[in-house]
Amino acid sequence: MSLYIDKIKETAERLLKDGSVDMVIGFRKGSVPMMNEPCFIQKPQEVHQLVWDSNCGINLANYLTDRKEKIAVVAKGCDSRNIVNHIVENKIKREKLVIIGVPCTGMIDKRKIAGMFDKPIDAVTEDGDIILVTSAGKETRLNKTDVLQENCALCIHRNPVIYDELVGDLIEEQTGIDRYAEVRRVEAMSPQEKWQYFEDLLSPCIRCYACRNACPLCYCPTCFVDESRPQWVGKSQDPIDTRTFHFLRAYHCAGRCTDCGACERACPVGIKVRQFTSKLNRDCLEMFGWEAGLTLDQRPPLDTYKPNDPNDFIK
Amino acid sequence: MKVISIDKTEWANGIEKTKSIYRLFGPVKENTWHSFMPLGPGEQPDMAYGNSRLSPKFLVHPQTEPMFEYNLDEKQADHHVLKEIPKDVSPKAIIGIRPCDASAFLLVKRNFDTPTYKDPYWLTAYNSLTLIGYACNQPCSTCFCTTAGCGPFHEEGLDAILVDAGDRYLLKALTEKGEAYIQSAGWATSAPSDADQSIEKLKSTAEKAIASHVSTDKLRNQSTTQLYDAPFWEEIAFSCINCGTCTYSCPTCWCFDIQDENHGKCGVRMRNWDSCMYPLFSLHGTGHNPRGAKAHRVRQRFMHKLKYYVDKYDNGIQCVGCGRCIRLCPVNIDIRKVCNQMNSYDPAACVCPV
Amino acid sequence: MNLMEHMGIEPGRLQFSWISSAESTKFVETVKSVTQAVKAIGPNTTYKKNPVKVA
Repeated sequence: MSLYIDKIKETAERLLKDGSVDMVIGFRKGSVPMMNEPCFIQKPQEVHQLVWDSNCGINLANYLTDRKEKIAVVAKGCDSRNIVNHIVENKIKREKLVIIGVPCTGMIDKRKIAGMFDKPIDAVTEDGDIILVTSAGKETRLNKTDVLQENCALCIHRNPVIYDELVGDLIEEQTGIDRYAEVRRVEAMSPQEKWQYFEDLLSPCIRCYACRNACPLCYCPTCFVDESRPQWVGKSQDPIDTRTFHFLRAYHCAGRCTDCGACERACPVGIKVRQFTSKLNRDCLEMFGWEAGLTLDQRPPLDTYKPNDPNDFIK
Repeated sequence: MKVISIDKTEWANGIEKTKSIYRLFGPVKENTWHSFMPLGPGEQPDMAYGNSRLSPKFLVHPQTEPMFEYNLDEKQADHHVLKEIPKDVSPKAIIGIRPCDASAFLLVKRNFDTPTYKDPYWLTAYNSLTLIGYACNQPCSTCFCTTAGCGPFHEEGLDAILVDAGDRYLLKALTEKGEAYIQSAGWATSAPSDADQSIEKLKSTAEKAIASHVSTDKLRNQSTTQLYDAPFWEEIAFSCINCGTCTYSCPTCWCFDIQDENHGKCGVRMRNWDSCMYPLFSLHGTGHNPRGAKAHRVRQRFMHKLKYYVDKYDNGIQCVGCGRCIRLCPVNIDIRKVCNQMNSYDPAACVCPV
Repeated sequence: MNLMEHMGIEPGRLQFSWISSAESTKFVETVKSVTQAVKAIGPNTTYKKNPVKVA
């Protein structure tokens, strides 16, 4: 996947030089292992900063919201789906964008990898499907497929769904993936077990809102948790308030979530926040045959009405 | 002060003894990280740790702290009267706190304990603490304490410092509080006369192991307004998502917000951590927000830590170099890079188009 | 509703009905059946905020 970088730089340089865009949004090398930092490049001579590897899990659609410049954005499958969302929801104009599509083979889970080693990780490099981890002076080879972020392992839209440039051949999509095993596992629990499961899941939450802010879907000028007149949710560490934040955040993503995993990746305390959105994604698929961000030509099911919409829940 | 030698087989027993006098807190392993937790009977601190994921500041400054209670029931004689909530001031001890985190309390104290204002909640909690520090033999790659006014064996802010010397611990009392704790544990074996040298040796090895550094020498003399107007803020702030991870994991961030929360006719006035990354933090009652854009808020955090604090107290930066914000930031904003950028900023050399 | 039940709200505690202002009979029946269903489940002990602990 790192082979893409030459093409990304070349495309970025060309677009900046010929004036097609004012800036390119991509990633630059991070200062710690398994992290890259989103950045913008405005000068052709600065494109050398751009990088691409398996540490580009942050969703760059988040950096496009309401921007007015002409922008080229590096987009893997999920980013491109969120760009579609953004266009459909009028958060960015299609004609302002040049989408540099990246067929993606998944991002690695830095927490999972860190958890595999007793000592801190000094460096991580990659060679195709092999991840080389140096910890305490010793190098370990890992198969990338074993250390993917969970959402990437379950991804069935690795190729960008919308693009103007492509930095490599489209890749074969994964098939036969059981995307919702975790949802079914929770569904099989009793109400008390479910309650306790989410209680435990959310107990480390520090209300930093990294999950919300990493998400391209969350762009309200004032979030309901920040609203003070009226105040919908308490601001303390109360577990009920914390839970209210998490499930209401998820509701706001219903029919919009692309399962890019940015929320889970951003969480500083490792909460599996996708446990909420996955359930909604599965329901959207089953009830409306809908997966978010695949097309510009269809309104999302939750902002349209159809006479045959499932409505069994209304008595 | 004299150094005590503790055979590792005697360690747990001593810790257990002190629980009759102190409420103990220490690092406890949860999955793959460590957190500071209360240590009940039989529970021991896990000393095989680098540093806790979140800082132990919550033991002095809880994320949610109820301050007053009141009732709104007019049938009650004391309705609408704020009543102070009694606090537990019994002695507490934190075992295994790293020197950086202890030193952070001193930085925060400059704000919460001034001749004019004294924060009773913070001070009461802080004063009830005995800090048994744990020197870092193996600092992390993101630690930059030695250039942030601190160090892996830094003693300031600690009541005693514990050094892992292989099969035994060396424990040096630094204050009377530290002495009292050691006595209550019953550790009394004097360390051999070369203990000080062994500590010095470990200290110098640890200090050399710290590979990352920041430069802070020019911050004091930088012009505040020129730094404020520096062109690099937009670039630094670009990737920021304005979450509270850096501020909430930081041992030196102290900001809070006060709220009343009612439950029926009863209520509590509490304070909760707040973060300068949040738009609500500086929103005025008029609706105006002086830090309305992301870049303003990012600038505020770094200017406060690395410039305003430096100017106000003339005692270094408001950072101890623990590296948590670097490790936890979801988008890899690195305070070391920002600090160096601010320190080396030369407005005259800047040719950026305005 | 699905997500509410997914996170542990008992089935039946949360119900939705569409009742026109002209459908007084349906309104009465719905209130009766909802009350009955919720009584059968018993008091809500989980999704309920407790007063702030002060000590």
